[in-house]
Amino acid sequence: MDNDPYGPNDAEIVRQILAGNVNAFEQLLKKYQNHVLMIIKKHLSHNQAGDTAQDVFIRAYRSLPTFKADSSFEQWLSTIAVRSCYDFWRKHYRSREFPMSSFTEKHQVWLEEALSDESSQSYHERGLQKEAREILDWALDRLSAEDRMVLELVYLEGHSVKEAARLLGWSTANVKVRSFRSRKKLYNLLSKQGKHRRRGT
Amino acid sequence: MSFSKEEHEKLKGILRQAYQEKENLEMGDLWPDALMHRIGGFGAIQSAPRFLTMFEQIVWQLAPVISLLILALTGVLLVLDLAPEYDVFQLLMNGKEEFTLSQMLGV
Repeated sequence: MDNDPYGPNDAEIVRQILAGNVNAFEQLLKKYQNHVLMIIKKHLSHNQAGDTAQDVFIRAYRSLPTFKADSSFEQWLSTIAVRSCYDFWRKHYRSREFPMSSFTEKHQVWLEEALSDESSQSYHERGLQKEAREILDWALDRLSAEDRMVLELVYLEGHSVKEAARLLGWSTANVKVRSFRSRKKLYNLLSKQGKHRRRGT
Repeated sequence: MSFSKEEHEKLKGILRQAYQEKENLEMGDLWPDALMHRIGGFGAIQSAPRFLTMFEQIVWQLAPVISLLILALTGVLLVLDLAPEYDVFQLLMNGKEEFTLSQMLGV
């Protein structure tokens, strides 16, 4: 992220925008577009990221009057980005616009091999990241929007429960309970697939 | 099949790695231009809050004071004895004293 110490700070840019200088928003966009994309690309699939990134900045632009000058713009924008991803999944699960991915024989083999001692060493060398991502997407597709977001923030990204609660606007107790349940669901889903395979072989 | 503790840890590592690698996927760089075009279409945003928003804020700010006032007034009404005033009112409405002519003349 470009943090030019000689340029106007975020609060000053926001003040300019609110004074009617719409083009000043481009400075914020350039400064934070990579940060927002990093958040979105992890939560959504590649082809949904562009539209959602635009939605995040539009929401931010419209909400600028509520931004408090003494707070961090980056944190404020991160909250908008995470909540936009959550909104995306809520809508997606309601309408099911995209087909759910399937767990193929290839994935089953991959999962068994990945868990065995010898394959864990050569995970990168064998170029199996794609399979890992597909399995992860398959499992996440089968969780609710709430479970998915909590699992991604706490378990996969390593945010603290408090931080995840702040990003989602939920209570810490809610995040804690969901985090535990969603992790359990994820392991159940993956272990069931392993069971199917063992029965089949 | 249930995972052993070791398998759990291994799976966690693999899934975390796969998740983190999603941020390395390349995206087109045309969307910021399209976004600024859309933002330009919205025009300047109002920095002053709208009347309804302001009204809502004032109502919420005054809510505790109003609640206290209602409680205080309820207390005052309960403590005050309204019966004497009611009696006077009844006397005026129903118990009309009819003066005779002699009484009026003071005879």
